[in-house]
Amino acid sequence: MASTNIKILVCVKEVPQPEAPIGIDPSAGWVQIERSTSYRINRFDGFAVEEALLIKEAFPDTTVDFITVGPDRSAMILKRALGMGGDQGIHIVTDGEGYLSPFVTAHWIALYARGKTYDLILTGVMSEDYMQGQVGPTIAEFLSLPCATATIFERLSPGEGEVYVAREIEGGFRDTLVLRLPVVLTVQSGINRPRYPSLSNMLRAKRQQMKTIAAKSLKQTDPRQGVIGIAYPSKLRSGQVLIGTQEEKARELLKILSEKSLVQ
Amino acid sequence: MAQSIIIIAEHFEGELRPVTYELVGFALELQKFCPAKIKMLILGDDVAGLAQDAATHTGLDVVAVIVPALTTYNLEVYKGILSERLPDLDPVYICMAHTTQGADLAPPLAVRIKAACITGVVQVSGEKDRVSFARDMYAGKVVATFESTSERRILTLQPGSLPSPVFDHPAPVAVETWTATYLAKQSMSRGIKPPKETNAALTEAEVVVSAGKGVGKKENLQIIDNLSRLWPGSAVGGSRPVCDSGWLEYRQQVGTTGATVAPKLYVACGISGASQHIAGMRGSGFIVAINRDSGAAIFNVADVCVVEDLITFIPCLIEEHRKQSI
Ligand SMILES: Cc1cc2nc3c(=O)[nH]c(=O)nc-3n(C[C@H](O)[C@H](O)[C@H](O)COP(=O)(O)OP(=O)(O)OC[C@H]3O[C@@H](n4cnc5c(N)ncnc54)[C@H](O)[C@@H]3O)c2cc1C
Repeated sequence: MASTNIKILVCVKEVPQPEAPIGIDPSAGWVQIERSTSYRINRFDGFAVEEALLIKEAFPDTTVDFITVGPDRSAMILKRALGMGGDQGIHIVTDGEGYLSPFVTAHWIALYARGKTYDLILTGVMSEDYMQGQVGPTIAEFLSLPCATATIFERLSPGEGEVYVAREIEGGFRDTLVLRLPVVLTVQSGINRPRYPSLSNMLRAKRQQMKTIAAKSLKQTDPRQGVIGIAYPSKLRSGQVLIGTQEEKARELLKILSEKSLVQ
Repeated sequence: MAQSIIIIAEHFEGELRPVTYELVGFALELQKFCPAKIKMLILGDDVAGLAQDAATHTGLDVVAVIVPALTTYNLEVYKGILSERLPDLDPVYICMAHTTQGADLAPPLAVRIKAACITGVVQVSGEKDRVSFARDMYAGKVVATFESTSERRILTLQPGSLPSPVFDHPAPVAVETWTATYLAKQSMSRGIKPPKETNAALTEAEVVVSAGKGVGKKENLQIIDNLSRLWPGSAVGGSRPVCDSGWLEYRQQVGTTGATVAPKLYVACGISGASQHIAGMRGSGFIVAINRDSGAAIFNVADVCVVEDLITFIPCLIEEHRKQSI
C-alpha cells in the first residue's frame, strides 16, 4: 500500500438487549423473541467501530464502511454506527428471524468485500447472541487474508503495509504478531472506550441512504450446520429461589449464609 | 484408509493445557457414535516429550508434529500444516478446545478442509448417523442443539464442560513423529507477553463479591464495596465489561481472560452468566446470584438466586445484617 488511503470495513450485528426474555418456539426449533424487544449493536462490535474511527482520526484519508447482515430492523444499528462516525452503511437484508450459519453470513460479507480493496476488515470477537465467534475468521479465509482474533491492541503501519497486533489469550497473556495487510481482525472488548453517537452524526446518518442488498439476490452457499432444537439449560446447583419482599429475601439469605457459617 | 477422530492438543509454556485431557473425554464420547480411531496431534518445535507424556497418560495414538522454530501457536502455520495433513487421516471429527487458540484456528481451517464448524460445544448426544451438539446461546439463557450434514466437522469444546477421563494404566504405545515445515508469510509471531498485574488478592480471598454490567455506572460500585464489607478480608471482583469500562481494575476481572477463583463464597451482582465468566468462578464453594432478570444464566450455577434489582436489594441486605448484628 503506497498512500495512507486506508479503507476499512466494520461488520456489525444487532442483538436483543441482555434482559430480553428469550422464549422457545418448539415447532420452529428456534428462539422466540417478543416483538416489543429492543435491539442494540452487539457490544463487541462497538469496540470494532471505535477502533476503526480511531484509525480514521490518526490517518485522515481513511474511509470507514459498516456492513450488517440481518432483517429490516437491523438498519437501525447501521445508523447507530454512522452516528459514531464513518462513511457508508451497507445492509444485506435477510428474510425472517431464523438461525443463520456463520458460513452464510461470512460468505455474503466476503462477496460484498471482494474486489473492494479493503485494507482492514474488523468485527467483534463474537456476538452476544450466537456466541460463535466465527464470522470474522471465516470471512478472512474466504478472502485468503491473514486474521487475528481477540485483538486487544493494534498499531497500523500503512507505509510498511503491516499491522502489529496483540491478541488477548487466557489468563491475561498477550500473543503478539505482525500481519501483512490487508487483514481481518476480530476485536476484543476493552481495546478502547467506544464513543457515544454525536447529534450531528446522528442527523447525518438519518439523512444518509444505506446501500441495501437483498440476501436472496446473492449467491447462496451450503450452511454446513444448523440448529435443530432449543432448550433452557439445566441447573448445575440447587438454585434455591428466594421469595417474598426484599426484606424477607434479605433475611432469608442472611439465615442461609449464617447456617453455613458464611457470614458473621 | 480408516476414518479418524483427531484431537489438536493445546500446550502453553512447555505443558499440555488441562483442557487437552478434556478433549480426550470428548473424543471418547464421539467415538460411541462413530467407530473411528482417535489420534492426538501436538504441533510445535519441541513437543516430543509432551507427546510421550500424553501417550503414556492416555494410551492413545499421539503424533508429535515437529515444526522447527514454532515456539508458540501461529494460525498461519497451524492452518497450513493441518490443512495439508488432515485429509490423509480422513477425519470425521476434529476436536479442539474453545480457547482463544481453538476459536482462532477452527473457522478458517473449516473453510480450508470443507468441514462444518461448531464452536463452544458443551455436550454430545444422539444416535449413530445422527449426532448432535449442544452449545450455549444468548449469554447462556438457552442451549441450542446443532447438527451437521457435512462429512467432516470441526468442534471446539467449551473448557470445563466434560470431566477429564480417568486413565487406568493404559498399555504403552509408541509415539509417532512427523516433521513439517511451514514458513509464515503473512503473520509473524512476536512472542507472548505475560500479564502486567497480578491478581493474588482476588484468587486468595475467601469471599469474592463481583460486580457485572448490571451495576449500571461507576458510582454504583460503592454499593458493591459496601456489601463486601460484610466479610472482612473479602475481595471485589467483576465481569469483563466492568473492567473494560474502567470501573474496576483488570486484575479484578473474573473469567477465562481474567482470574479463576474458587472462594468459599461468591456473590455475583448484576452478572448475566456468560460461559467465559462462569469458567472463572464455577469452582466456588457457595454461589449467591443477584440479578433482576429471572432468566439470567447465572442462576443455573447459583446455590441461592435472588431476583431483585441490586441497587435497592443490596442496601436492604446490608441494613438487615446491621440490624441483626446489634
Ligand atoms: C474470548 C472472550 C473472553 C472473555 N473473557 C471474559 C472474562 O474473563 N470474564 C467475563 O466476565 N467475561 C468475559 N467475556 C465476556 C462475556 O462473554 C460476557 O460478555 C460478559 O461476561 C458479560 O458481562 P456481564 O454479565 O457483566 O454483562 P451483561 O451480559 O450485560 O449482563 C448484565 C446483567 O445484569 C443484570 N442487571 C442489569 N441491571 C440490573 C440491576 N439493576 N439489578 C440486578 N441485575 C441487573 C441483567 O439482567 C444482566 O443479566 C469474554 C468474551 C470473550 C469472547
